[in-house]
Amino acid sequence: MNDLLMYLTNGVVIGIIYALSALGVSLIVGIMNVVNFAHGELYILAGYFSAIFASALGLGPIPAMVVAVAAIFVLGLLMEWTLIRPTYGDDMYSLIITFILSIILQNAYLFIFGPYPQKPPNWTSGASNLFGLFFYGNQRLACLGVAVGVIAGFFLLLHKTWFGRVVRAVSMDREVASMLGVNPVRVNLLAFGLGCALAGAAGVILTPIFPVTPTVGVGVSLTAFVVVVLGGMGSFSGCVVGGLILGLVENLGSAYLDSGYKHMFGFVILILVLFFRPAGLFGQKQL
Amino acid sequence: MKKTTWRKATVLAAGAAMLLGMAGLALAEDTIKVGVVGPRTGSAAATGTAFDEGIALALERINAKGGVLGKKLEVVFEDTAGDPQKAASGLEKLITKDKVVMAMGESHSSAALAEIDVADRYKLPLIIAEAWHDDITKKNIKYVFRAGPSNSGVVDDAILGFIKANGFKRVAIVAENTDWGLGIKDLAEAGLKAAGVATEVFITERQSQDHYTELNKIKNFKPDLVLAFVYGFGVHYLIAQSNEVGLVPQTALLLEGAGPPSLWPDFWKNVGDAGNLELFVSSMHKDVMLTPVAKEFQDAYVKKFGKEPTDYKSRSMFNTLLIAADAINRGGSTDPDKLVEALEKTDLTVCSGQVKFGTEKGSYRYHQWQPPMLIIQWQDKKQVVVYPKEAATGQLQKK
Repeated sequence: MNDLLMYLTNGVVIGIIYALSALGVSLIVGIMNVVNFAHGELYILAGYFSAIFASALGLGPIPAMVVAVAAIFVLGLLMEWTLIRPTYGDDMYSLIITFILSIILQNAYLFIFGPYPQKPPNWTSGASNLFGLFFYGNQRLACLGVAVGVIAGFFLLLHKTWFGRVVRAVSMDREVASMLGVNPVRVNLLAFGLGCALAGAAGVILTPIFPVTPTVGVGVSLTAFVVVVLGGMGSFSGCVVGGLILGLVENLGSAYLDSGYKHMFGFVILILVLFFRPAGLFGQKQL
Repeated sequence: MKKTTWRKATVLAAGAAMLLGMAGLALAEDTIKVGVVGPRTGSAAATGTAFDEGIALALERINAKGGVLGKKLEVVFEDTAGDPQKAASGLEKLITKDKVVMAMGESHSSAALAEIDVADRYKLPLIIAEAWHDDITKKNIKYVFRAGPSNSGVVDDAILGFIKANGFKRVAIVAENTDWGLGIKDLAEAGLKAAGVATEVFITERQSQDHYTELNKIKNFKPDLVLAFVYGFGVHYLIAQSNEVGLVPQTALLLEGAGPPSLWPDFWKNVGDAGNLELFVSSMHKDVMLTPVAKEFQDAYVKKFGKEPTDYKSRSMFNTLLIAADAINRGGSTDPDKLVEALEKTDLTVCSGQVKFGTEKGSYRYHQWQPPMLIIQWQDKKQVVVYPKEAATGQLQKK
């Protein structure tokens, strides 16, 4: 019984983090119909920034995280303005551009940061005895707490602010929204920046547990896409549910089936979902 | 009128440049090139740095003594990142573009297994330095030699001996799902079962950074020793997480079966206190000087890099280059078959002992030289040799 609880706990922790990183992709896809292939690279960049700011500039871990995410937000705005805006109307171009950007960034990271894994110092250390049954790393619990906070903050933003209402409107129907007076260019800019910032947030939260190297971004992007497809494009609660399902399946699968193929389970789920319910669990059916 | 003058000037300039270039090339012909393959990127990128150090020291020593066949020895390093495709294409590039007369190195078995086929096809002598899978020499390819450990050698000589001498009763084996990991875990499992030790095997992905699930299963097995066959920074996370779940070193010791990861920079930063009492395999320790060449390497290293050598793969690469230069000089030519003949007759003193390659076909010992391996334990951040008894500098600490 303790085993099952441990696997469930680990699955939830990992799942929430997957959900957080997928939210960024979902936001950009829902608003702008742009698939951001450089998503994983922004996650890594935030991780590198938080590691560098914490060590070189001597900032505490929390300020380093905030500054890193802010930097990624600004970078996202820049990206949208220079790279994505010229491709409006043609989804294929933005796909290609972000794909090329991801390759360029990977090589740039190798050149600038070197091949060794980097991570900022842990915010907390040691382990707690959960439910009196097993030990679990404190840093992971802290990451879980922060991730839940960020996701909750995002949903608050979505449902309680004017900006959130605009985002939901545009993702429902872009043309009608613009007819009702929403400035699509401004919304795109802010949404893209926010999507990148969410990728960065996932990066700074996870890097203390899983150090970053120049190439882990590919895996991050893939996982984010799997979660988005699983949950349904354009649905944010779908992201959270999809992330949790993926985290739980990966951990339970590698615990009870085969730990050598942990990452395969996610793709098996993806295939099943696409087969039986292509719109995803919470996806809006196309008319 | 102006246009044709410009054109003539350009043609003359281009011609002059070509002549100068050719002269430059002709001057550069005064070296003999050998290729080195190894990981400069990927999860074992630190081994590339270790190789670079060994290469620098070896070249200084070899070229100071006259080089090879009267010319300077030059090394071209190709990054293989532990990936078989990169390894095969990298070795082909060394052969066809850089025209190396010999190649050596490699630290990943999956890459090495791809390289030996390329070497066989192009008839290029290849000396594997630190890829351990038995098949590399078991395939008995004429052009392939190994101046480093084999899985069987490490398991039989070092690991099994250590476990039996210290009375471990329940051993959990964690192996990465690569050629090396699966190969060495098969040998370890078989050897332990034959010795009557209870064992269970757990497979993990090399790229994975989250090992909580495997560690929980290992905890349930209640081992007193965990054998970790994971080569890369991944093993740092494995050790740190095994401490978080209360396994190592609280209820079991951990023996890291590759070695270098326990010596890489950031080891202590990544594993924290869990690194204390951790055991690892190595072929080098500063208090175990088996030959005068070992002392010379130590002194040269400290002089050049300002610190003591810790990663045994730098010394392994140093040894391999010495062997290569010795073979080229004795063989008297860069012809591949003459080089193979010369290598087979090697009887050279290097840092880890006297090099003699096996010549009997039929097993992994063909063209293999096994250096003696040590088991070292971190005690209060100091390396203490705990096995074999003849080389021990201290006692094994269990708690």
